[in-house]
Amino acid sequence: MLAHAINVLQSGVFHAAILFLVAAGLQLVFGVQRIFNLACGSFYALGAYAGVSAVSLLTGAGLPQHLFILALLLAGACLGAVGPLVERLLRFVYDRDETFQLLLTFAVVLMMEDITRILWGTSPRSTGGLYLLYGQVRALGVTVPVYNLIVIAAGLAIALGMGYMLARTQFGRIIRATAENREMSEALGVNMRAVYVKVFTLGTVLGTLGGALVIPATAAMSEMGIDLIVEAFAVVVIGGLGSMRGALAGALVVGVLRAVAISTWPELEMLLIYLIVIAVLVFRPRGLFGSAAA
Amino acid sequence: MILQARDLRKYYGEFCALDGVSLGVNAGEFVSVIGPNGAGKSTLINVLTGILAPSAGRVLFRERDITGIGPVRLARLGMARSFQLVSVFPELTVLEVLKVAVISRLGRGMRLFASLARDRRVTREALEVAELFLLAEHRNTPARQLPQGDKKLLDVASAFALHPQIILLDEPTSGVSTRDKNTVMQILVSASRRIGIQAIIQVEHDMDIVFGYSDRIIALHQGRILAEGAPEAIRANEDVVDMVIGRKDRAPIKRNPSPRRGEGEGERVAPGTC
Amino acid sequence: MRARVALAAFALAVLAVPLLGREYYTILMLSFFAYGVALLGVNLLLGYTGLLSFGHALFIGLGAYAAAFLTGKFGVLHMEAILLAAAGGAVLVAAPVGALCVRYVKIYFGMLTLAFGMLFYSFLLKFYHLTGGDEGMRVLQPFLLGFDLSQTPKVKFLTGPYYYYSAAVLFVATFAMWRIVASPFGLCLRSIRENPVKAESLGIGVARYRWWAFLISAAYAAVGGALLGPTVGQVDPGLTYWTQSGNLVFMTLLGGFANFFGPLLGAFVFIYLQDAVMSVVPYWRLIFGAILAALVIFVPGGLMGLVTGRGARPGIKAGRERAQ
Repeated sequence: MLAHAINVLQSGVFHAAILFLVAAGLQLVFGVQRIFNLACGSFYALGAYAGVSAVSLLTGAGLPQHLFILALLLAGACLGAVGPLVERLLRFVYDRDETFQLLLTFAVVLMMEDITRILWGTSPRSTGGLYLLYGQVRALGVTVPVYNLIVIAAGLAIALGMGYMLARTQFGRIIRATAENREMSEALGVNMRAVYVKVFTLGTVLGTLGGALVIPATAAMSEMGIDLIVEAFAVVVIGGLGSMRGALAGALVVGVLRAVAISTWPELEMLLIYLIVIAVLVFRPRGLFGSAAA
Repeated sequence: MILQARDLRKYYGEFCALDGVSLGVNAGEFVSVIGPNGAGKSTLINVLTGILAPSAGRVLFRERDITGIGPVRLARLGMARSFQLVSVFPELTVLEVLKVAVISRLGRGMRLFASLARDRRVTREALEVAELFLLAEHRNTPARQLPQGDKKLLDVASAFALHPQIILLDEPTSGVSTRDKNTVMQILVSASRRIGIQAIIQVEHDMDIVFGYSDRIIALHQGRILAEGAPEAIRANEDVVDMVIGRKDRAPIKRNPSPRRGEGEGERVAPGTC
Repeated sequence: MRARVALAAFALAVLAVPLLGREYYTILMLSFFAYGVALLGVNLLLGYTGLLSFGHALFIGLGAYAAAFLTGKFGVLHMEAILLAAAGGAVLVAAPVGALCVRYVKIYFGMLTLAFGMLFYSFLLKFYHLTGGDEGMRVLQPFLLGFDLSQTPKVKFLTGPYYYYSAAVLFVATFAMWRIVASPFGLCLRSIRENPVKAESLGIGVARYRWWAFLISAAYAAVGGALLGPTVGQVDPGLTYWTQSGNLVFMTLLGGFANFFGPLLGAFVFIYLQDAVMSVVPYWRLIFGAILAALVIFVPGGLMGLVTGRGARPGIKAGRERAQ
C-alpha cells in the first residue's frame, strides 16, 4: 500500500518537475510581457524531438551512452535559440489587444506543429532503452528509475536557481520591477526591448529543456505540444499567473493529482484537473501565489 | 431632499479617502464640489453613483437607501453621471451612443428581434438630446472621430438621455478650451431645464465656472468637508481660499446670467417636465 | 445596393453548386454550412460583445454528439428534432457555464472557456462506455422534414436533399442573427464591447447581456455541430479539442469579425483553402499558421476588412487602450 503510494508520488513529482520547467517559462513571459504564450507547449515538443535526435547523433558520433543526459541538456539549451525568432514575431503585436497576441501565439503553435512533423515525421521517436541506463533504486518496496531522481533534482536545482536569480541578481530585479510596473521601469531607463528578448528566450529555453528531459521516459509524439500547453495552463492558473512559486506549487499539484487519478480512477485524469482549474478561477482567480491584480 | 449622504467613510487599507462626509442636495440646486487633487472628490462621486461601496455611511436617493447598489440599478432609479476621463463608445456613432441610453431608459434592451432602425421613438428621442447638445450634425460620426470637447459633451449628453432626476458630472469642462467652457455650461444648464433634471452635482476645478453657475459649493479637503455654502460665503472663507483655491485676490464675484437663476425672473427648473 | 447584389449572387451560386456535378466540392459545402452557422454564433460573442471564447468547440461537439445520440442510441431520426435538441442542450449547458464565465473578462474569460472546453473533451474521451471514447459515435442518416430518405445512397443524400436542407438552415440562421445584431439588444452588446463601465452607468446590466449573447452563440454552435454530424457520419472527441476552438477564432478573424458576413466568408475560405492545400501537401497547419500570423499583424480586419477598406483598422479595439 505504502509502496504503491510512493510509486505514484515519485511518478507525479517527476511529471511535476517537467511541468514546472515549462510553466516557469510561461510564467516568466506572462509576468513580464503579459502575454500568455500558447507556443510554450510547442517549444516543449521541439526540445523533445531535438533531444532524441541529439542523443542518437552524439552517441553515434562517439559519446558514451551513459552521458546521454548531456546530449539532452545540450539540445534543450540550444533549441532555445528559437526564442528570439518567435519574440521578433511577437514584437509586432506588443501594443495590441491581448486577443491578437493570443492569436499570434496560436499561429506559432500551428506552424511549429507542422515544422516538427516535417523535420521528424509523424511516428513517435524515442531514445529506446536509455531510460533505465542509470539503473533503478529500490527503497521501501518501490523501484524508482534513477533518471527520474536526476530530473527531479534538476528541476529543483533550476527552481532554486530561478529563485536566486530573481531575488539576488540585477536581471532578476529588473524582471520583478517590470512585472510590477512596466511604465515605471521604462521611465527609470530599463531597455524594454532587450528585457523582452532575454525573458522570452529564457522562457523558451525552460520549455525546450523540459521537453528534452522528459524524453527518455516517454516518446516524442506529434500531439505532445498541444497536449502539454493545457496542463501548463492548469499549472499557472492553480499556482497563480505570473508567479514562480506558483509554477512550482501548481506543477506539484497537477503532477501529483494526475498521477493519483491515473492510478485510482483513470477516467478522471485530466477531468479532475480541469474541474480544479474552474474552481480556482471562480473562487480564487489569483491562484495560490498570484497577485490580486493579475 | 433628493440626494443625501450620511457620514460617508472610505478606507483603502490604511489610507482614508473619505472621512465622514455628509451632504444633501435639494431639488432645483446646482451644487459644485471643489477641492485639490486627492481631496476625495472622485471617491465621493464614485460612492454617490454606486460604483464604490463606502466603508461606512449611507447614501439616500429620495429617502431610499442606495448605498453600493451599483451603477446599473442606480441609473434605472434616476441617477446618472458623466466621467472625468472621457467615456464614450468609440466605435458607435453619436446617434447610436445616445440610442443606447434611450433604449436603456425605455427598457427595450432585451428586444432581440425588433429593428433598431425602425424604432422611431428611440431615434427621435436620441436626436432630441443630440440637438440639445449641438451634436446633431455629427449624428453619424463614430464617437472616436469627434474632437475632444465634443466627446466630452457626448459623454454628458448620453447621461442626460437617461432623463435622470439627478445628474453627477465629473469635471464636465475639463479638456475643453477656456473659450468654450461657458458654452458647454450653457448647454448643460439649458438641456437640464428642457429634460427636467432636478438637481446637478458637479466636480469642477475651474473656479469661474464654479462661482458662475453654482447655487451652493462644497469644499472638500483630505476627505472631509471644509466648508459649504453659497458662492459668496465660500469666496469669503479664508480657509477655503487658502487650501483649495490657492489665490487670494478679492475681486468681486463675476456672475454669469445663469439661466437657473433667471435674472429677476425667479425661474427654477420645473421638476419632471420636458 | 452592391451588398445586396453580392448576396443574391452568392445565394444563387450556393443553390447552383450541386447542379455542377462535382460531388466532392458539393459535400465540402456542407462543412461550410455547418461552420457558417457556428461562426455566426462565435462572432456574436467575439465581434459584437467583445468576448473571446477559447472553448466554443464544446458546443459544436455537443450538437454533433446530440445528433449521434439521437440517431444512433435513441432512434430519433428527424433532423428537426436533432437541431432542436442540439440547441436546447447547448442552452442548458451554456446557462450555468455562461453565468460563471461572463463575470470575468478578457484573459480570464478565455481561460474559463478553455477549461470547460477541455473538460468536455476529457469527458467525451474517457467515458467511452457512454460516448465511444476515442473512436467516437456514428451518426445515421436523418429524416428531412419528415421524409424517410434512409434508402437514398449516402452521396446522393448529401449532395441532394441534405445539401439544400443545410443551406436553408444556414439561411434561416443568418437571417435570425441579422435581426439580432440590428436590434436594440445588438446595440447594447456593442456598447458593452466598447466600454462596459460606461454601459453600466447607463443602466445596462453588462453580465446579463453577455450571458444572453453566450446562450445564443452556444445554440448556434450546437446547431452547426448537429449539421456536421450526418455529413461525416461519425463524431469524435477531437471536435472539441482546444485547437478546434482556436480554429473557430481563426476563421472569424480570417473573414473579419467587425463585419456581419466576415465569419461566413472566413468559414468558406478556411474550408476550401484547407482542402486545396491538403491536396498538395499535408502541412496545412504551417501555411495556415503563417496566414494567421500575417492576418494578425497586417490585416486584423480580415478579408471583409480588405473589401470594405478597413483592413488595418477593424473597428474592434486592435490597440491596447480599451476602456475597462
